[in-house]
Order: sequence, then structure tokens, then C-alpha cells
Amino acid sequence: MDYLLESIGLKKPHAGAKGVLAEFDGPGPLLAAARKLHERGFTRYDSHSPFPIHGMDDAMALPPSRLGWVVFLAACLGGGGGLLLEWFVSAVDYPVIISGKPFFSLPAFIPVAFELTILGAAFGAVFGMFAFNQLPRFHHPVFYSDRFGKITDDGFFISIESSDPLFSVTNTPEYLNSIGGKNIELLHPDDEKE
Amino acid sequence: MSAIKELNTQLEPLVTGNPTFASVTQRISELTEGKQPNKGWWVCFLAALGLLFMMKTLILYLIWEGTGIWGLNNPVGWGWAIVNFVWWVGIGHAGTLISAILFLFRQKWRTSINRFAEAMTIFAVMCALVFPGIHIGRVWVAYWMFPLPNQMQMWPNFRSPLLWDVFAVGTYFTVSCLFWFVGLIPDLATLRDRSTGKIRRFIYGFFAFGWRGGNRQWQHYEKAYLILAGISTPLVLSVHTVVSFDFAVSIVPGWHTTIFPPYFVAGAVFSGFAMVMTLGIIARKIYHLEDFITLRHLETMNKVMLLTGMLVGYAYGCEFFVAAYSGNIYETAIFINRAFGPYAWAYWTMIFCNVVVPQAFWWKKARRCIPWMFVASILINIGMWFERFVITVTSLAQDYLPSSWDYFRPTIFDIGIFVGSFGLFFTFFLLFLRFLPAIAISEVKGVLPQANPHHGGEH
Amino acid sequence: MSSVNKEPESHNPYWRSVNELEGTPEFQRYVEREFPYLDEETATGSVNRRQFLQLMSASMALGGLTACRRPVNHIVPYVRPPEDVIPGVPLYYATTMPFGEEAFGLVVESHEGRPTKIEGNPDHPATLGKSSMQVQASILGLYDPNRSPRTLRGGQPAEWKDFAEALTSLTSGLGETGGDGLAVLSEATSSPTVARLKRAIEQKYPKLRWVAYEALGSENAHEGTALATGTSLRPLPHFDKADTILALDADFLMTEENAIRNSYDFANRRDPDMPANKSTMNRLYVAEPAYTVTGGMADHRLRLKASRIAAVAVAVAKALGVNGVTDLEAPAGELDPVWIENAVEDLRRAGSHGLVVAGRRQPAAVHALVAAINHRLGSIGTAVTYVEPLDTIRSDMKALRDLTADMADKKISTLFILGGNPVYNAPADLDFGKALGEVGFTAHLSELYDATSERCLWHISRTNFLESWGDARALDGTLSLVQPLIAPLHADSHSDLTILNLIATGEEATAHDLVRESWAERFDGAVGFETNWKRLLHDGVLKNSSYRPAQVTISADGIRQAVTTLDLTTNEEAIEVVFGPSTALHDGRFANNGWLQEVPDPITKITWDNAAIVSPTTARKLGAMRKLNKLGELKFDMIDISIGGASLALALYIQPGHADNCISLALGYGRPEAEAVLSVGHGVGFNTYLLRTTDAAHIVPSVEVRKSIGTYELAITQDHHSMEGRPLVREAELTAFKENGKLYPEAHYHEPHQLWEPPVDYSKGYQWGMTIDLNRCTGCSACTIACQSENNIPVIGKTQVGKGREMHWIRVDRYYKGPIEDPQGVVMQPVPCQHCENAPCEQVCPVTATTHDHEGLNTMVYNRCIGTRYCSNNCPYKVRRFNFFNYTKDIPETVQMAMNPDVTVRFRGVMEKCTYCTQRINQARITSKVDGREIRAGDVQTACQQACPVNAISFGNINNEKERVTALKRNPRNYQILQEINTRPRTSYLGRMRNSNEHLAPDDSAANGHEGH
Repeated sequence: MDYLLESIGLKKPHAGAKGVLAEFDGPGPLLAAARKLHERGFTRYDSHSPFPIHGMDDAMALPPSRLGWVVFLAACLGGGGGLLLEWFVSAVDYPVIISGKPFFSLPAFIPVAFELTILGAAFGAVFGMFAFNQLPRFHHPVFYSDRFGKITDDGFFISIESSDPLFSVTNTPEYLNSIGGKNIELLHPDDEKE
Repeated sequence: MSAIKELNTQLEPLVTGNPTFASVTQRISELTEGKQPNKGWWVCFLAALGLLFMMKTLILYLIWEGTGIWGLNNPVGWGWAIVNFVWWVGIGHAGTLISAILFLFRQKWRTSINRFAEAMTIFAVMCALVFPGIHIGRVWVAYWMFPLPNQMQMWPNFRSPLLWDVFAVGTYFTVSCLFWFVGLIPDLATLRDRSTGKIRRFIYGFFAFGWRGGNRQWQHYEKAYLILAGISTPLVLSVHTVVSFDFAVSIVPGWHTTIFPPYFVAGAVFSGFAMVMTLGIIARKIYHLEDFITLRHLETMNKVMLLTGMLVGYAYGCEFFVAAYSGNIYETAIFINRAFGPYAWAYWTMIFCNVVVPQAFWWKKARRCIPWMFVASILINIGMWFERFVITVTSLAQDYLPSSWDYFRPTIFDIGIFVGSFGLFFTFFLLFLRFLPAIAISEVKGVLPQANPHHGGEH
Repeated sequence: MSSVNKEPESHNPYWRSVNELEGTPEFQRYVEREFPYLDEETATGSVNRRQFLQLMSASMALGGLTACRRPVNHIVPYVRPPEDVIPGVPLYYATTMPFGEEAFGLVVESHEGRPTKIEGNPDHPATLGKSSMQVQASILGLYDPNRSPRTLRGGQPAEWKDFAEALTSLTSGLGETGGDGLAVLSEATSSPTVARLKRAIEQKYPKLRWVAYEALGSENAHEGTALATGTSLRPLPHFDKADTILALDADFLMTEENAIRNSYDFANRRDPDMPANKSTMNRLYVAEPAYTVTGGMADHRLRLKASRIAAVAVAVAKALGVNGVTDLEAPAGELDPVWIENAVEDLRRAGSHGLVVAGRRQPAAVHALVAAINHRLGSIGTAVTYVEPLDTIRSDMKALRDLTADMADKKISTLFILGGNPVYNAPADLDFGKALGEVGFTAHLSELYDATSERCLWHISRTNFLESWGDARALDGTLSLVQPLIAPLHADSHSDLTILNLIATGEEATAHDLVRESWAERFDGAVGFETNWKRLLHDGVLKNSSYRPAQVTISADGIRQAVTTLDLTTNEEAIEVVFGPSTALHDGRFANNGWLQEVPDPITKITWDNAAIVSPTTARKLGAMRKLNKLGELKFDMIDISIGGASLALALYIQPGHADNCISLALGYGRPEAEAVLSVGHGVGFNTYLLRTTDAAHIVPSVEVRKSIGTYELAITQDHHSMEGRPLVREAELTAFKENGKLYPEAHYHEPHQLWEPPVDYSKGYQWGMTIDLNRCTGCSACTIACQSENNIPVIGKTQVGKGREMHWIRVDRYYKGPIEDPQGVVMQPVPCQHCENAPCEQVCPVTATTHDHEGLNTMVYNRCIGTRYCSNNCPYKVRRFNFFNYTKDIPETVQMAMNPDVTVRFRGVMEKCTYCTQRINQARITSKVDGREIRAGDVQTACQQACPVNAISFGNINNEKERVTALKRNPRNYQILQEINTRPRTSYLGRMRNSNEHLAPDDSAANGHEGH
């Protein structure tokens, strides 16, 4: 709930560093660093890159996405709903004799049902993805950093949130430094910067 | 699809001029920034806007006066409106095809073209959607096609291919938009982070949805993209299949054929690629994108056109064979009339543009000669328009009872509205070029050599 | 779809168009043309509609006219007298449509005092309940917005009483001189009351000149019979009694006198299903220049210049040994001897059941010969009777010539023109218009302010026959009454009776009283006048009032003299011109009738025009062809015809089967009136009267023709139609069919697999179905107009028809067959909606606007239709009609009164089509419910069925064994078109039979029994 309010800027996040951000030289170093963090036992960290990096999921040992199930459900809803509509319309509510065909002419009803299946699946995939990614989220600690803009250009970052049990304002930056992190900065809201 | 597989064996780099991540960002993003682009853009844009206005005016007159201002008559109930609809929808297939099917086939070369191919898809489908709307006699009740509960207690007829169309094309448009938008999110974030002005920053920022490129996001993002690609593939195939049902499900000789769905899909891909080619070559020239849209891309597309062109050609021949082999006199007569009847001029135009012209692409020289492929792509688009014209009009003009046979002549209104639809298309397309990254930035970065983490990292 | 085997080319005598068959360069151009033309006119489509449906200026003061105007005088409903008019329930009144010497007994449907639909009167010998295009369309004449509203003097509004005064003062003046210089020019009429008043006037003014003129009168027949028998008689053929018929240039099924009755009788003898003992199917020989519907029905047709018909008559007479001809040498020039030989042989075999008829344009001598031949055959009294008409004022062109001469010499001081339009349709050499200027006092009585009115001092608005009282005799003499269905639309219009009475007595009297007066003596006191009168009003017909047949004695000398007057020499190369009536406009009197302008000619399928019709050979000789201009329009070359001084340029139309070196010109087009007084007919077609002279009023043996510059566009509803060997119109030789039961072209039909049965049981309840007997159908198109009248079908004008947007719900398809130079025939096929049980149109409509009802009707829901036109595309019969524009927008207020209130008027953008007259079905349903019974056989008649003079159309509940249609559907000739695509049409056709003479059997495998495939 809190992050929701924070994400839309309604709730002022608690004072102090929200996390730490470290830049790396490229996909390779980033991958290595991510693996080390995982081995170290960090959980609430993320590795940012301008494009998806091959093998990063293993490095961070992320569980496979459950998006597929959402899509499957949505597809069933779309297709089933479509067929149900056609049956209700043509056989129950408004049965008319058309070209000597039966009121419920299944073969003729397949195309629409199919298209609605696809439509359902598509909505499932897109909005499911938004949900999993907690998008849209316009406010996030990483945005406190001014260097973070490079992320969509050629920057490679690792961010560790303060909510991570292993997080400490002193040790974590050092550790990041030790695994090759550069320009390490603690993430403070702009107004808290001195 | 083996033809496409074999493309990857080429060693030619996907992006030339070995750029860095930064330079890629720079080259593509700058197109949408600053006092860009030049006067040329404005000229094109105003011209397109003019055509769009013309179409609007003609459509208003059409609604005011009646369908009779078109050249339609009693046997020929469908004319240019439907031809244009099918043609535009066909063009609208390349985008999703490139994005989805080539994605599934792991065709990395698609990254340079898929963005504006998708844009083209969306705008083409918009043009297509105009025509079924206005071709009906009482435009103001077009909404009766949708299953909306109403005081008349009436429902649409789900057995009608036209209703299937409504759902198919509607779904296709929606899914294409979603697909396009999802692909845009990381690049919108790029523009967000590069933008200086407050308004730009806000707008791009808003549509970027606060993207921060975290791998936990990339994971779901890629999954979603994969799934979208997965469902778009049957969708893109189904859409033109359903469009072909408009004809195939009827009993009109020359329409009532089972070959139509694959035949139409092949045709759609054919014309779609031709249009991508036309636009690609122009954009490439104007915006100096030679490094991104390389000769390799163009050549590959030419190969696809050669393939689809021959598929279409096969369909033409097959139709004739089946007509003759069936011994059905109505079917036979229609095809003889197509080739040698009053519409022969249209038929042979079609054959020349769609079957003869692409044959040149057997030769590597032709495949890599930009002026030639530009001309060819345009000829192919013309040919594909005539294919739809031949199918739609000739069959209607000379069906079962010779007593009803008549000749269809278009009027200035048929032509004007068709030409106007280009205004609609290019207005949007030019706006797209002006304000959105014409090439998928993050995807291109992904296919750069240094994007591979085992590439050594430092350089 | 199951396959249909295609006849080998050699066995497929049907072709698509003259061009295709010949492979003319024009056709090649048509094929190779780069881009079709852009129609710059589309934008002005609406303007074109206004052109012919133009509202008259508000000054016509039609404001109140749509209110009901019930007749003032008491008249008696036909069916059953109601207490009072029940709103919504139509009443039916009997009346009569006078038509020259003819009279058609009618029953008119009236809604709240507003006549809307005309049918034949079953009790009347001329109609027998049937009708024709003109009869059906005459309702539109009543509501013609151009009808003159008032009396005019010198073109200026004047008062009727002023005219009456002027007239009385004038005639009193004439009294002393015995009416010297007084003349009346009327149309031919058979009205006893007119005859009575004529007698009265003649008593008062012994020197009165009374001339009747019809552009298409029957003078020749009368003179001919006079030559042969000494007395001028009228031949009355009885086709129901004729086994063999030889028609000499006589289109007795459509444009000749008594066509409705002739068709009715002829068709009844055309029925192959009649028990052989009762009678056999008749055999028809036709010798004619241009194809007519009669020629289309012929078993053997001889295409011949009109001027050579006489030679045939002589040859036949000679062969049959007619006294006075036998000793003459055979006529010069080659005729088809085999043909004549066999015709004669068949006639001789038929004996008293052989019948020879000649057309009105054949010279008197031919009619004399015909009388002699019939006499020789002994068929006078059986297959034909000759009667002496009473109460009849007959057309006399020579008298008109003399009158005009006297007018020019100022010998005529006072001229009353009752109806007609002589300035337009009198022979050009008379220059009637000029002569009219020499007459001091001229008055013209007419419904429109036409060309003649313009040149007369006085114009009196004439009442339509549906507005006025009168009486008439049918050709056979049967008396019937003309009773008004509605009070005159224009208070200031008057009947000819009123004026005649004014001349006779100087007093005004209503037509009603005048008619009663003349009938007073006819009804003797036994039952009392009123009773008789009421019965007469009710029936519309006086039973047993027909003429007694005249005794006919043929004088050999008369015949010999007659033959000497004939020009039997031949000049094959000379190009002749023959004038004939327009199949729709007759002599032009219907020129302002949109329905008749738009109905396609049965053979040429030309609408809104007439043309110079020639054979392909002659066309080539003239170097004139139809061609396509660069824009792809079908253009027709123009030719110049010069006769004497006059010359006329008009479009040339090529008709296969037309006689060579002969040009047929239809009269009745090119009316000179301005658009303001003739908004529909103005500027339509070419005025061929300009070429007509009194000496050569019908046939001009030799004329000057040359190709003219410029081209012309004709609106033709079926230009390039071939049957392409498809089993659409299927026929057989009667004898062969009796053996093998095969119809050709053969349809090889395999029962297709039906995926599922319809959700309703069509074997229960009312199931509507129709059969159309192609063996009876002549193609006269009465059904088309009847349907137009019943179903409020709009008139759309030449431009729209030219675009192929004709709206007729039932069209008549025409196919030629055989070689183009000498086709073996023309076949006709009326095509309404087929009401398929598996209707292809229904499944493709996205909004369920066309669906099936449980009685098998393919219903069209106009309100739901959004106009995708998909149904029309998917209709294999192409019977659906689309409202491309708002065609009903500009219908004048008066014409709206002709609309059938039981049928909606369709809006722009919706599809429409034949409904099997669903409104009539529901009417019958209501009646049956009220009476608490089922709908009985024959309760429902569709409009086309009711009008059809040959009973080709049968309709009814096919679950009812008593219905005629049910029986016919079991007939071996019964078939469905396009049966192989499994649409299961409810409309089926009965194969066409030919009764050829084996010696003349055509080498035409499509119609006789060759197993040629």
C-alpha cells in the first residue's frame, strides 16, 4: 500500500537513504556483480540495463515469470465469453431462421470466438506484465540519482533498496565498490540532499 | 520459412559503422528532438494533411448524397471501398508479421525495421477501417454491427463474415496497438531521460510508465513480449483469413474457393513487405539510417517478397486449374472472363506486377539495387491493389445469370476517397517519424556485439 | 456445388452480345481498354431525378388534393357494398378504360376514395381480369403532376363559363348555315353516348365535319374487309379456337388490338399438358420484319421486309386456291418456299381451325386476302368472326388529310379537337399545326397542355377516365360503363360528353346525366331503370351485349382488284422503313408516364428511348455499329434517314433476327412539348412522326439512309446477355419431351449433401411458392409494371438505369439463340426473388436484416438494413435492388396519391426486393381469420400473377393440394434455376415447349432431342 502511494507521490517516503546505486562498466561486469550480490544473499536489489542482458535471470536466480498463467486465464475468458454471447444471442434471445441453418450454428461461430480468445490473451499479457512490474510507477528511489538517466542510454547500474535486510548505509556501498561498482551514491530524495 | 532461416547464416553485421550504445541512442533519438526535421518534413506533412481533408470532405458528401455517387451498380455491389479495405488491411500485416513471426524465429535482423513496420501496420489498419464504415448505405447506423443490447431487441448475425470482420480487424487493431506500445516503453524512457523541456519530459515520462530497466522488469517484459508475439502470429494469419472469408464463404463464382485464406495471407505479407520496403527506403534516405537499415535488411526483405510473390502466383494458377478441373461452368466462365473478358486489362496488370516483377529478385544484383527495389515495391503494391479489384469486381460483374451482367466504372468519388486515404496514412506516419523513435533503440542495442556479456565487457 | 455439364460450343447457340459473337474491333477495345471512364455525372444524380420527377410549380395549387375526394355521384362498390368506407380496407369498383376503338373493363382498388391499383375486370371480354403495361400504368396518368389544371384562352387563364358562352354564341351563329365550317376532330371511340351526341349534333348541323384520327388506327383492316366483302368489318380472331396460326406482320400478343384477350386465348392453347382429346397445342407461324413478342413465341418465324409480307399473303392465298388469286402468277422475288409450303400445309390440315391474321400496318389488300384465306379455310365463324361495329367512330387518316386541306383553305371556321394530339402525331406532310392556324375558333380538350393545345385558341382541361362518367364498347361490342373513382383532381376539368352536349344543345349537363340518358332507352321498363343501372355499375359490364357475327361473302373480283393494288415487285437492296407503336408508349400518349418510360422494351431492352432498329447485316452495310468511346461508355452510332423532304438523325440499335434492308422505327417518342408541361417525357427519344406521310404512313418501301456523325447513349437493362449454355431457360421439342422428358440445356444435378435441416418444418402450415410457365410467358412485361404499381417501386430515370441500377422487382430476361444473322428464337424469363429456403443472402447479412419466416418467405426488414449490399452480391439470381439515392425524395404530391398504403416507401441506402406481395398474403390472412377459416386456394394472388394476361404465373400455398401451383410443381416440366447450388428456391419454372413442324425443325440442339453431348 505504501509503495503505491509513494509511487504516485502522495505519500512522502520515510526519511533517510532509500537505497544505494552503483554504476558498472558494461553487461559483463554487471552480470558478475549481480551474481555476487545474489551469492552474498541480497534479496531486494536489481540490476538495471538499457536492454535485457542474456543470463541475468540465472545470475540473480529469479524464479520463472508466472505471466503465462494469467494470459491463459484471460484467453479462456475471452473465448468462452465470446461463444457464450453468440449462443445466447443466436439461440436464446433472438433466434431467427437464417439460410436454413440451425439457431446455434457452431462452425459459423468459431471465428468470432477465436478472435475474442486472442483479444483476451493480449490484454492478459500486457496488463499482467504491468501488474507484475508494478507499472506505471513514476516515483522510485533510483530516480533520485541524477546519473540514473544513463540507464536508458548506455548506463549499467545495480540498486539495492534500504528495505533489504542486509542493507547498511556504510557497508553496502563499500561492498559494491569492492565488486567493481563506480559512482556509488546513496539514494536520498532531492529535498534531503545537502 | 526455410528461406527466412537461411538468412541468418549471413555474416554481414546487423548494424554497420560499429556504433556504441551511446551513438545508437544519439542517432535515433535526435531524429525526434530539436528543430528536427527539415523543411521536407513540413512539405510532406502539409500535403498529407491536404489529402486527408479531401477525403473527409468527400466522405461527408457521400454520407449526404448516398452511395450512388460511387460507380456501383446492381451486379457489382462492392467496388473500390472494399478493394481498398482489403488492400490496406493486407499492408497492415507486415508490421505484426515482422514483429511477431520473425521474433519467434529469432530473426535478429528484424530489430531495425520492426518499429516503423508496426507503426505502418497500425496506420494502415486505420485506413482500412475507414472503408467498411463508409461503404454501407446508411452510415449513421453502422453501430448496429456491434452486439449492443438495444430497444429493438435485435442482435447482429454472427453467421455473417462481415461480422467476423468486425471482430477480426477490431482485435487486430487493438492487439497491434498494445504490441507496439509495449515495444515502445523502454525507448520512451530513453526519450524521457534525454528530454530537456519540461513538457517533453512530462509526456514521454508519462507514457514511459516510470520504466527503470531493472532486470526484474525485463524478465516479465520479455515474457509478455514473447507471449504477444506468440498470439499475434495466429492472429495475423487469422485476420486476412477472415477477410478472405468475406469472399470465400459466399457462393459467388470466383469467390467461393477454399484456397482463399492462405492465398490472401500470402498476398498480405507480399504487399506488406512491399510497403515496408517503400517506406523504409524513403526513411533511410531522409534520415541517413543506412547504418541501421542496411542492404542486408533490404535484401532479406526482397527474398521474402520473392517467396510470397511466388506463393501468390501459385495461387493464381491454382485458381485456374481448380476452375477448369471442377468442370463447374460458372467457375470456369469467371476465370476465362477474368483473363480474356472485359477486365483483362486489370488482370494482366496484376499478373505483371505481382508475378513477373518479383522474379528479378532471383539475382543478387537486383536484390541489392535500391532504385530497382524501390520501383519494384511500388509496382507490387499496385499489383496487389489490382488483385483485390480483379477478385471483387470481375466475379460480381459476371456471375450466374448472364442477364444481370454489367460493367463497373469508378467515379471521381471512388478514386478521390482512395487517394485521400493516403493522406490519412501519411499524416500519422509523418507524425510518428517526428515524435517517436523510428527504430527500436533498446532492441538494436541488444543485437550489438558488445551487448553480449561474454563479449569481454570492457573495450 | 455439383457440376453442370457445358454444352459443346457447337451445341451452344446462345451468345452474349453482337460484339462478342462477331469479335468486332470495338469489342476488342472493350476488352483491352486501359482504364474505365470516370462518370462526371454522378454528382448530379439527384438533378437527373428531378428532371423527370419535377414538381410542378406551386401555382398548381395541389395543396388539398391528397385529402380524399370521393366521387360525388352515387356509384356501387364491386365486391360488396359496405355500410361506409372502413379506413384501411380498400374498396373495388368496376370501370372501363377507353382506348381508341378498344375498351378495357377494369376493377380499380380504392383506398379511402383514392384509386391506387388497376386490375382487369374478370367479367369483361377484353381483359378477363387480366391487364397490360398500359392498363396498369394508366393509374399514374390520373395523378400526372403535369395535368392541366384549368381552362386557358390563348395560353392565359380563362373561365369555363366564358368558353361556354363563346361556344354557344358561335354555334347559334352556325345554325343558319347548317354548321358549314364546323368541324370536330376526335379520337377513335366506341362510346354509345358520344355516338348519340354525334347524331344529335349532326341533326342540328347537317354540314358538320366529324373526323376521328388515331396515329395507329385500324383503317387498313376496315378497308381490306370492305374490298373483300363489300362491307367494312372488324375481324375478331379467336386464338383459343385456332390450331395453326399464321401471323403476317401482326404482333397480336402485344401491340395489335385486343392484345390482352389474344394473349389469354393463345396461351390457353399453348398448354402442352392439356388432354390430347380436348385439343392439341397450337402451332404459330410468324412472318415479320422486326422481332416482336409474337415472333418470340413463334414455332417458325420468317424474317421478312414488311413490304414483302404481301407477297407471302398472295402466295399462301394462291396455294390454298383462293378465288381471284389462283389465276395470278406467283409474286416476284424469292421467298422461302419450303416455309410457306409447310405453313400452308399446316393451315390446310387445321382447316376451320386454321387462322391467318395481318397487322394494322399491312395494306388493305393484305387484309382482304386474309379475309379470303380464312374464308377459304372455313375458319370464319370458328377461329375468327367478322363483326360490324356499332356506336363506333373509327380513325380515318384520309379524312384527316381532307380536313387539314380544308382548314388550310380557310374552309373551316370552327374546330373542336376532343383529345388526341394531332399537331404532334398527324402525318408530317399535312403540317397540321400550320393548318390549325388558319382556323378562326379552335378549342382543344386534353389532359395536358400539349403541342396541340398550344396552337389552339381555347384549351379545356380534360377529365381522366378515372374521374369522369362515360361508356364504351369492347371490340366484340360488349357494353361497359366508365364510372369515376375520384372527383376530378382539377375542379375546372371537363369530359368530352359535356362539351359535345354543349355543342348539340347549348346547355351544360353533367356526364353522369348524359350517360344515363343514352342508356335510358336501352333498359326497357321490365325491371326498371335504376335496378338495371345499379347492376350495370356493379358489374361494369352489360352481359350478352356483344355484336352478332356478320355474314361474310368473299367477292373474287374484289380480291383480284385488291391484289392488283399491291406492289409485288421486289427490290431487295432498297432499304425500307416501317413505323410501329412503341411497346410501352403506344402512339406517344403515355410519354409522360415514368413507369412506361422506364420499362425495358421486351426485345431490345431499351428504356427511355426509341432507336432505329436494324439487322446486323444492314448495320454493317450502313457502316454503323455500337462502339465504346475512350471512356468506356457504350455508344451507339447515329444514322440519318431522309423521306421526301424530311430527315431525322437517330441512334442505331442492332437487333439480331431483324429483316435485312429494313429499319423499324417506334412512334411515340420525342414529344415536342416543353419540360414544364411534360416533365417526364420531355426530350426522351426521337420524334419519328416527322418522317411519316399519309401515303406511306406505315411502310416506306425505299428511303435514303446514311451514317450520321456523333454517337448516342442508350440506357439498356440487358445489353450483353448470353445464356452461355447454362440451364436457365430450358426448353424441349414437344414430341421429343413426351418421349424422353428432357429439357435443354440439360442440368446434370446431383442432390447436394445438406449439412443440416432447417430449424422449422416446411411441410406444415402455409408455405408460399410460385411457378412461372415459360411456355406461356410472352415477355410482355405487364408483371413488371403491376409489381411497380403494387409495391411503390420508384422511377429512377435514364442516367440511373444506364448505370445498371434499375429497381424493378420482377424483371424479364431475354436470351437470343442460334446464329446472329438468323437466330432460331428469343426466349423470355421473368425473374422475381426466388425465395430460396437456403437463401444465400440471409447468412451474409451482418445485422439480420433479411431473414426467413416460418412460411418460407425470404423477408427483407427495411428498417434494420444498413446497406452493406452483401446480400445482393451473394444472390445468384441478382434480384435484389439497392436504393443508391433517395429515389422517393422528389415524388410529386399527386403521384404520392398513387402509392399503395399497404407497402412502405423505401429510404436511401436500404436493399429491397420482391416480397411475394406479403401485404396481400397478410390481407388474406386477416380475412380468413375474421371468417374463422384457413386461407383457401386462390385467396392470395400476387400483383404479377393477377396482371399476367397468359396466366404464366401461379402462386399459393404449396402445402395445399387444391392450389394450381402445387399441381404445377409436380409437372414434369417443373425445374429450378441454379438448382445445383442447393439454394432450394420456392420459385420454380416450367420448361418451354416448341411445337415445330418436323419438316422445318430447326437445327437447334438446345431445344430438340439430339443427344449432342
